[in-house]
Amino acid sequence: MLRRELIRSTKWFPYPNTTTIPKTIHRMKKTAILAAFAAFAVAAVAEDKIVIKGSDTLGAKLVPQLAEAYKGAGNSVSFEIAAEGSSTAFTALLEGAGDIGMSSRGIKQKEIDALAAKGMKQVEWLAGFDMIGVIVNEKNPVKNLTKEQIKSIFVGEVTDWSEVGGPAGPISIYTRNTSSGTFKAFQEMAMDEKDYSKDAQMMAGNEQIAQEVGKNANGIGYVGLAFATGEGIKAISVEGVELKAENAKQYPIARSLYYYTVEGKLSPAAEKFVKWATTSDEALAIVKKVHFIPAK
Amino acid sequence: MPASTSEKPVSVSRFQEKGFRFLGLTFQDVIRYFFGGNASLAIVALLLICVFLIREAWLFFPTHRHDLAIFRQTGVEYVDLMLQEGIAHKEAYTLLNQAYLAELNEPSQSVAAILLAHQQVALEVSKANQRTVDDWKKADDAGKVALRTRWVEGAEKALDQNETWNVEVARFEWTGDLRQKMRQAVLEEGPGGDEKSPFIAELEERKAQIFAETSERLKPFNAIKLAFRNAGRPLDALTDELAKIAKENRELASTFSSAPERKEALLEGAAMETDPVIKARKVAEAEAIVMVAPDYASLTRPFYDSVPKHDAVNTALRSDLAGILATFPEPGTLQTELGRKNLRLAHKSTEQLLGKLKLAAADVKAWRHDAKVGFGAAVTSFFFGKRWITNSSWQDFYGVLPLFSGSLIIALIAMVVAVPFSIASAIYVNQLASFKEQSFVKPTIEFIGAIPSVVLGFFGIMVLGTTLRDVSQLEWLSWVPGFPMQERLTMLNAGLLLAFMAIPTIFTLAEDAINNVPHAFTESSFALGATKLQTVFRVILPTALSGIIAAILLGFGRIIGETMVVLLVAGNKIQIPDFNAGLGVIAQPAHTMTGIIAQELGEVERGSLHWRALFMVGMVLFVISLIINYIAQWVVKRFHKV
Repeated sequence: MLRRELIRSTKWFPYPNTTTIPKTIHRMKKTAILAAFAAFAVAAVAEDKIVIKGSDTLGAKLVPQLAEAYKGAGNSVSFEIAAEGSSTAFTALLEGAGDIGMSSRGIKQKEIDALAAKGMKQVEWLAGFDMIGVIVNEKNPVKNLTKEQIKSIFVGEVTDWSEVGGPAGPISIYTRNTSSGTFKAFQEMAMDEKDYSKDAQMMAGNEQIAQEVGKNANGIGYVGLAFATGEGIKAISVEGVELKAENAKQYPIARSLYYYTVEGKLSPAAEKFVKWATTSDEALAIVKKVHFIPAK
Repeated sequence: MPASTSEKPVSVSRFQEKGFRFLGLTFQDVIRYFFGGNASLAIVALLLICVFLIREAWLFFPTHRHDLAIFRQTGVEYVDLMLQEGIAHKEAYTLLNQAYLAELNEPSQSVAAILLAHQQVALEVSKANQRTVDDWKKADDAGKVALRTRWVEGAEKALDQNETWNVEVARFEWTGDLRQKMRQAVLEEGPGGDEKSPFIAELEERKAQIFAETSERLKPFNAIKLAFRNAGRPLDALTDELAKIAKENRELASTFSSAPERKEALLEGAAMETDPVIKARKVAEAEAIVMVAPDYASLTRPFYDSVPKHDAVNTALRSDLAGILATFPEPGTLQTELGRKNLRLAHKSTEQLLGKLKLAAADVKAWRHDAKVGFGAAVTSFFFGKRWITNSSWQDFYGVLPLFSGSLIIALIAMVVAVPFSIASAIYVNQLASFKEQSFVKPTIEFIGAIPSVVLGFFGIMVLGTTLRDVSQLEWLSWVPGFPMQERLTMLNAGLLLAFMAIPTIFTLAEDAINNVPHAFTESSFALGATKLQTVFRVILPTALSGIIAAILLGFGRIIGETMVVLLVAGNKIQIPDFNAGLGVIAQPAHTMTGIIAQELGEVERGSLHWRALFMVGMVLFVISLIINYIAQWVVKRFHKV
């Protein structure tokens, strides 16, 4: 049984019913992984187990890498990580099905109320920030754009620099391709989830976007913080806020990433981990490595 | 050689001895079956690949049909109709806005150009003194005094260099004492650029003044423009409101269609669980999953209810726009060429918009959530769909037309360039070149084929793209269609590189075809008194024509399937190229069928609709290659004259 589950959870084997919507399969796969993890965990009763649930942004790379490093540092714990979206963090906490919830947004009032109704109170741990820089050619006199202007440019409603205060010239839009997480994150944070302009050119990576914008006086694109300084490009301010790690809290195309726990219900092992993940230098280095901004 | 030939009969005869058998087979039989087995294995593998491809790709259509049915049932389709109205309105508006802005900016253009030039010079100077600038940002007041001196020294050095003054600003030239004033201004501003020099301040003031005067004069135009924009607001508001409902509906639909699998997965997970508490919880969770189909009739009620409202909004928008269109200024009254051009375009676009709105009104009224989605719709929306949008938060569309047109145009550009080159070199090498030339040119051209395509793609990004664009900026080349080019990554760039890749294929095959013309033909031609050139063009070429056509076709097949170059160099813009640009279309970026597979397959969930769509695109490519190869073989057979 276990082996079958494991095989299924890898990418290379077909699912029984292949005519479903991708998201479902994804979810199902995660459930399968989770089940497999659970089975492992039961086998290894001697270890403390930390259950972490929630955001895909955090759960895709950062938390698994943190978990590996934490175990590598000689801590005898096992992890169960399920990344199915931020809202699942709070349902898990509510049902007591998880020790730590990961969320790429702040907790909502409704969720605070739901916890309070069960006599629980959340504790918020800042995991880091996720910032996306909007870059233009350094020769472009435009220094600042509003969020609305950025949206209209990337959606394709504004097609000329003169419409946003620059010299006349058709705007060339460079975006990441659809398989990129940044593609989606930018769409959510800066474009109200609207589709990209059909004029957008899809580049394979941050570096390629920076390169094209650097060579095209009318170019605009977005890149992760690490790529925002390069030959021929400059990051513009958004709503007057410069792209700097210090401005992470005010910068509009950024989001805080959190861990949530329940007050008084946190196991010592989980508490030790979450403290380590938010404060230790080793953990912060990993946060940087996956292109987030450490909270400190 | 003689040594081995003398040994050979001995070794063969030893195995031919009657008594030597292995599993009842003689040695020769074994060899025969070994080779035969290898050949048939290759064919079996090919067949298996074909079956696999066809099966995966074919399943695309039922899946796609299911997706389209959900698109319709949930009412997303209904809102999409309105969304398209809004997009068309904004397209027309942006042209009008650009016409207005061209007029608005024109009077202050000369001042703005100086300011822009100043910005570029200041940028060059601070780049040359990057360290000082960085230190300045961190320095305290005392440190700044020392840095100031360092800055002035560095800045003067930079300003003495001619490159610093190379600015790319339209309609701008360094005249008279402008350069001297600019020099002073840059030095006065200091490393942080926070102190404004009086000269620049004065220019900015003048610009603002001219700007204010112009906007006063253009007030009526501005009012027209704003009225045009605001006319669309009720439609946008209605669309936004309905889009929310549509998204919720689609969420419900996807939850429902995934329910059985989720339930199964949870139950399986529960079965593995040993802890009774967790097990009970998991089973309860699984049982709680709702398996009842959403009631689409009631879910889409708000849309049907909104039809009269949309009708009112649409009618109002049309009459508003028609009214505003009548008040558009005469293009002749505008002062700038750009303004006139954009105004004419806006005019045309608004007229089209009115037609589109009228059609959309009818479509919205006729929309029914329960109208059946036929299999034909799933097929045609793939082959003739104009939108390829994936990973959308609204709705994915899989229309292959943008990709197909990109692939086709790039291949055509490549052929236009490659065919003359390769055929001419084939004729020259085979017929006219001396033996020495022949033995140098032929291997060299064939060597091109050995260059890995990723290397060529890299060359295209780093060298060819920049060179092409720089060349296209030259004044005396502006008559070339598509010039000056804004982009580096274009279909032209990709086409040129692919032409380079196709040359060895076409050259080699064409040269073979020419070589196969019997000597008797040439000799008879000479005997009749024809010259060398007459022989080549009247005798050899017509005879070898079928082979040459086959060579061209195979070259075409070679480049339409090429992936790496187009992925890196074509610009990856998923849109049907704008043929209004005439031949200039070649300067636009595009995406290709091969490129999209390479780009998107890596991250796509196996078995999903998107995954199958990519397989379908692969299938289209496969069929195209098959047809081309078939035609090439047919041409050779049918027209082979020898």
